Amino acid sequence: MSEGVMAVVKPEMKSYIWLQTADGSIQQVEEEVAMFCPMICREILQTGMGSSKNYAISLPQRVNPAILGLILDYCRFHQVPGRSNKERKTFDEKFIRMDTKRLCELTSAADSLQLKPLVDLTSRALARIIEGKTPEEIRETFHLPDDLTEEEKLEPLRNITDDPRIRLLNRLYARKRKELKEREKLKNVEVEEERVDERSVEDLLTFINGGGEDSKGVRANKNKKKNRRRKDHPKDSSSNSVYGNHNKELDVLSSSCHDGEVNNMASPSKNSKLQDSTSVTFSPKLEFDDGDIDDDIDPAMKEELDREVEDFARRLNSDWPERMQEILSLGQERRLVPISMNGNGSTHRYTSMSCIVWIGDNNLMVNDSFVRMSSSSFEWIARDASMRFAAEEAVEELAMSFGAR
Amino acid sequence: MGDPLDMDFVSDLPQSIIESILTRLPIRDAVRTSILSSKWRYKWSTLTQLVFDEKCVPLSTDRGLVEKSLVHFITRALFLHQGPIHKFQLSTSYLQSCPDIDQWVLFLSRNDIKELVLQLGECEWFRVPSCLFNCKKLTRMELFRCELDPPPSFTGFLCLKSLNLHQVIVAPEAIESLISSCPLLESLALSYFDSLVLNICAPNLKYLCLEGEFKDICLENTPLLVAISVAMYMIDDIAEHFEQSSSCNFIKFLGGVPCLERLSGHIYFTKYLSIGHDLERLTITYRHLKVIELYQVGFEDMKEILVVLRLIMSSPNLEELHISGSSNTLGEIEAADVDLWEKLSKYTFQRLKLVKMTEMSGVPHEMEFIKFLLSRSPELEIMSIMPCGCDIDRRLNMLIELVRFKRASAQAEIIFIKD
Repeated sequence: MSEGVMAVVKPEMKSYIWLQTADGSIQQVEEEVAMFCPMICREILQTGMGSSKNYAISLPQRVNPAILGLILDYCRFHQVPGRSNKERKTFDEKFIRMDTKRLCELTSAADSLQLKPLVDLTSRALARIIEGKTPEEIRETFHLPDDLTEEEKLEPLRNITDDPRIRLLNRLYARKRKELKEREKLKNVEVEEERVDERSVEDLLTFINGGGEDSKGVRANKNKKKNRRRKDHPKDSSSNSVYGNHNKELDVLSSSCHDGEVNNMASPSKNSKLQDSTSVTFSPKLEFDDGDIDDDIDPAMKEELDREVEDFARRLNSDWPERMQEILSLGQERRLVPISMNGNGSTHRYTSMSCIVWIGDNNLMVNDSFVRMSSSSFEWIARDASMRFAAEEAVEELAMSFGAR
Repeated sequence: MGDPLDMDFVSDLPQSIIESILTRLPIRDAVRTSILSSKWRYKWSTLTQLVFDEKCVPLSTDRGLVEKSLVHFITRALFLHQGPIHKFQLSTSYLQSCPDIDQWVLFLSRNDIKELVLQLGECEWFRVPSCLFNCKKLTRMELFRCELDPPPSFTGFLCLKSLNLHQVIVAPEAIESLISSCPLLESLALSYFDSLVLNICAPNLKYLCLEGEFKDICLENTPLLVAISVAMYMIDDIAEHFEQSSSCNFIKFLGGVPCLERLSGHIYFTKYLSIGHDLERLTITYRHLKVIELYQVGFEDMKEILVVLRLIMSSPNLEELHISGSSNTLGEIEAADVDLWEKLSKYTFQRLKLVKMTEMSGVPHEMEFIKFLLSRSPELEIMSIMPCGCDIDRRLNMLIELVRFKRASAQAEIIFIKD
């Protein structure tokens, strides 16, 4: 290699800019290419950096060397003024063909360098990727964690409140429901699970689609008026009078059943309550009465609530006979106990976290309010066609037991 | 599944990028992202651009059902939305006199709406609620089949830059005062108004697009106008009105637009301009006018030809000219008034590069016009002629004449399009 050849290789007359990425590596780039990036351009003009290796311009953290290379390729092509729109478009189409992860990194880096045309291009590409896919597909493409519980997916979206108590409650309930779910998994009810899964997505779609055949009305987001109405409502019907007697915590806990009823009766078309299908039996929405909670929660109440939840958990974990004992002993107290319908070929169902009654072959837990509550909850359950069989059976047994007494 | 570093890489992008991605999705897909993961739950709710149409809801042959579900969807989306809404677009024909639209407009007026587009299809005219006039920050408004009734206390949209009213019922005085009370108005489009007499007074107006049956248009104060596009339809009584009018329409319309760069006139536009035309020299030159498109020019009418000539001869920097003749060829073809063409002063079109003549029926004036252009355009590159009608004889005659014409430009191509 003669030196003459070497000399020819390096073009004279070009000025270079030195750029340093967050990991410390330094690159040199032709000046006009680097100036295409507004952020770099500004740095050069304002601070005069970049003219030599020691004074390299440090780029934002989101720009790593590989991505920087891509960005510079983009700049190198587009900073040439003579290109036609068609050429630029063709280049862009080819340029963004890369895997999704890299596309996201590129978007992020372009944004930090304020290279708007590239941000637009990559955003469009990402939108094209998302469009038309199902949630599962999107999660897979972008490696999103599926960290919403089934219940959360079903819950109507609400305006975020910043109240830490609400967040704490939400977490508590989410945790309890997760445990419930795990228990169910253990009991080999895969068919039910699948159905629940379908429903969760469908339900959200019904929300978007404006209600499927099962939706009983449309519920808007929390507003106090609605809560008041719900509280008042119990006075009207006998089946609801039970709830009127319960204290607030139970209201919250049992609100799922409660709501199913009220929504049906109230049927407020004007209030535009959009409701996820209450026919989902596994985990109907746990109504977060923001209004309620805002009004009534105080530390003492919260502790009651905590205790309630812990109790519940304990019961879930213990065996049936022990549970029976407990229930019998709790007797007059209006306690909620887990339901699972057993025997007679009917399937296990946790109809709700709160309002659950166990019926064995010949055992029936009876105390007045308890029974009434369960029958109303059965009515509610009975509305769900899929549960009708089991529900009818259960009601029959109830009736029989009354007769027996 | 996957290594811990293989984490979710899109949720932590800055909100502005997420918004820009979600804005590019149909609103239905954008809302569905709320069940992707906990971080995505509310990302859609701060979108500032909401575009709704019937694709938001599942298709169905039952119109009532579609309407109901669309109303639900939009109401829910608006209710769950957080933050300002800058753009709201509703384009659907399914909402028949729907009272919910009023409520949505009310909601938007409280949320700093900047761009509002309501295209409500073929149903009854939607009467716009008065809360629309409280949208102080409106910069763009597009209404389709609506009824506007500005309240007396309305002082105008002070930020409005773009106004597009298509088939909108509004009192004529209200239109004029609406236009003049929007000081920043840059783009105005009015379509399908009936028999409107319009005085446009808009000092910042740049783009004007008019279509419909206008009795009279006067551009009173539009010094910054850059592009005009007018399509004037004619019904009988307007024709009478034309005959009776004494003012010079050319001056009224094009007298005060020195910055004009592009002019496009359709249907009866040249006829309109020819009314009241007198043969004085025009004092105005359109220095920036580069493209002129005049369609349906009646070449049998000398006055219209004069309008065209006057226009193109006042535009020294004209580069493109599109002319189409009116395709109703008269039975009698009058002999060309050769004197006229001789009389025209020695004028050359210094910059004219492209001429497209369409709907040419071979009428003598048309041929003279083409001859005139060819002999006065030293920079001409393309002259394209498309004859109308399938009379082969006539076309042949045209071609024979064309070949004889002298050309001032050596590189001019004459393209005769067969069909």
